[in-house]
Amino acid sequence: MTALDFVLSLISGFGGEIQGRTLLQKRAYFVAQLSGVHVELGYDAHFYGPYSAVVDNSVARLKSLGFIAEENWGFGTTTPSGFEMKRYDYRLTEDGKKILRSLQRAEDYRRIERACIAIREAGDPNYFVLSIAAKADFILGRRGKAMSRDEIIREAEKFDWDIQGEALNNAVNFLERLKLVEAA
Amino acid sequence: MSLGLELRDPIHGFVYREPLEQRIIDTAVFQRQRRLRQLALASLVYPGAVHTRFDHSIGALHLARLICSKLLPQEDSRRLVRLAALLHDIGHGPFSHVSEPLLQRYSDKAKLKVKSQDEVHELISWGIIKNNRELARLLSEEERENIVGLLSGTYGYSLYKDIVSGPIDVDKQDYLLRDSHFCGVRYGLYDQGRLTDTLVAHADADDQILALSQDGIHPLEQFVLARYYMHTQVYRHKIRLITDAMIGRAIRLGIDEDKIPWLRDLYSFDGSAEFLENYLEWYDERLFAEILRKESAEGYAKKLFRQLHDRKLFKVIFNAPEKDFADPEVRRNLFGDSDQSFAPLEEKIAKTYNLDRNLVIAYKLSFKSATRTESDIGILHPVGLRFFRDASVLFSSVNQSIQEQYFHVYAPVSYKDERDKHKRQKEFYSDIVKMINEIFGPGTQSSAVAGGVK
Repeated sequence: MTALDFVLSLISGFGGEIQGRTLLQKRAYFVAQLSGVHVELGYDAHFYGPYSAVVDNSVARLKSLGFIAEENWGFGTTTPSGFEMKRYDYRLTEDGKKILRSLQRAEDYRRIERACIAIREAGDPNYFVLSIAAKADFILGRRGKAMSRDEIIREAEKFDWDIQGEALNNAVNFLERLKLVEAA
Repeated sequence: MSLGLELRDPIHGFVYREPLEQRIIDTAVFQRQRRLRQLALASLVYPGAVHTRFDHSIGALHLARLICSKLLPQEDSRRLVRLAALLHDIGHGPFSHVSEPLLQRYSDKAKLKVKSQDEVHELISWGIIKNNRELARLLSEEERENIVGLLSGTYGYSLYKDIVSGPIDVDKQDYLLRDSHFCGVRYGLYDQGRLTDTLVAHADADDQILALSQDGIHPLEQFVLARYYMHTQVYRHKIRLITDAMIGRAIRLGIDEDKIPWLRDLYSFDGSAEFLENYLEWYDERLFAEILRKESAEGYAKKLFRQLHDRKLFKVIFNAPEKDFADPEVRRNLFGDSDQSFAPLEEKIAKTYNLDRNLVIAYKLSFKSATRTESDIGILHPVGLRFFRDASVLFSSVNQSIQEQYFHVYAPVSYKDERDKHKRQKEFYSDIVKMINEIFGPGTQSSAVAGGVK
């Protein structure tokens, strides 16, 4: 499956709309894992957490193709440097829906759809919890062995990732519900 | 320690070299780059654009020296990054980037065991660095392995690769200034000194990455704009696009139709030492001369290279942005990720206008938005790193700019006068849009294959 079709199917799997780039990135991270669809997204450790330039580029191209629309919302100046924080929302356009009608018959689409359902059934966390869950999952994947919550927090600090204990608990619960981790 | 030998570069002034660097520059494998023009046949539109990979590699070395002196405390890592910068273009073939898709097409990928995203020209560079006899006499096996590891991102901190091959690497920093200078334009200028001055090494987990202090935001904005303008004004100039397409098509036809064995050998990389030895014998002028040799058989390659030689170029007979195609299936088939063949369209156009189907070139062009490459660069901030795209006031608003994609068709046509040109271009446009809709529209074979529901 191409990365373009993957991202388009992902947005469709969440009701045709995803609010925020971070939420889209992290949902793509988990859906790629859960669906088992063969698509090269190349997630890498970034200072915002696991991040895929391929997903980001696919979003730009889908916008350019007119298959998704982007709206952004400014939240005023919230940082010491004065730059404005924004949220970018994405929704399928009519043209995007038309393309999806041909994709929906493919097995890969149905796998993505099932992965999206699994995430929703596991609590459909907001971008904050999902982001911490992705960081924890990324760290565990990199280490390839069981780690305690404290070890995960310490490892996250090396990436400049700030993970608090309570937030990590929520994230781990989510990962457990998805059967991506289990108590050792 | 620098040599007393003077090397005056038009962009950076005096360039100092360590003795080892000078000995590498003196090798035949490095000197070959004097015969590889940086911008292929861009001199057909910008007569001054005759600078070479040699000049550029020396410039990259110079900038790497400046950056390493500032960011890397250890001389052994400084030396490694400088050597990687010096050798980063060693694997370019005739006409530089024009060779890349040809190598991708004709190389024996099963034998090379490359993944789909691996670029064959990179494997050639790495093969040359590892196996070239001259380089092996100057660099230990470990050093050569480490240079290749750095270039491929498998050795050392990410910082090292970021300096040589990243969004604000010495490659781009040099070529923007150099291409601008030799093309006689002012679009590629930016404050290189200030940009270098604001670069920082940022610790990131067990790694280090290249980032910028807050003072670097404005020089980086200027750098992004310089790159954007160079793309729009120079790299995407229509004559440049046509000449690159003609070279590529000439070589393809030379291999597929004219059956020129030495041409196939030049582009059929199989990882062998024999291939690399032969490859290093070739450069722009030699390829021109061999194809145009009197004794060479007449054929497509000779015909097209003669036209390039005499500047008798194809014309753009169709140029449409993706938004010109109303049907989403058509847009997806033309501009999506699928490996769509444009041969049926070329054939139809040729038939309609009584042209040789091999000489009609349909071509998809994609241009990333102005900030896409640099948007993820980290900017130091009191509360941690921030993306450049968020930290730059200028580009946080430009950030929504979308990727531009165009569909072009080039063909050997001529016009009687401006009026005839205008009239025929109108006809070409409406005819070709119809053909595209027929071939790539819903319910067509193309649509079924691309949609994965065949």
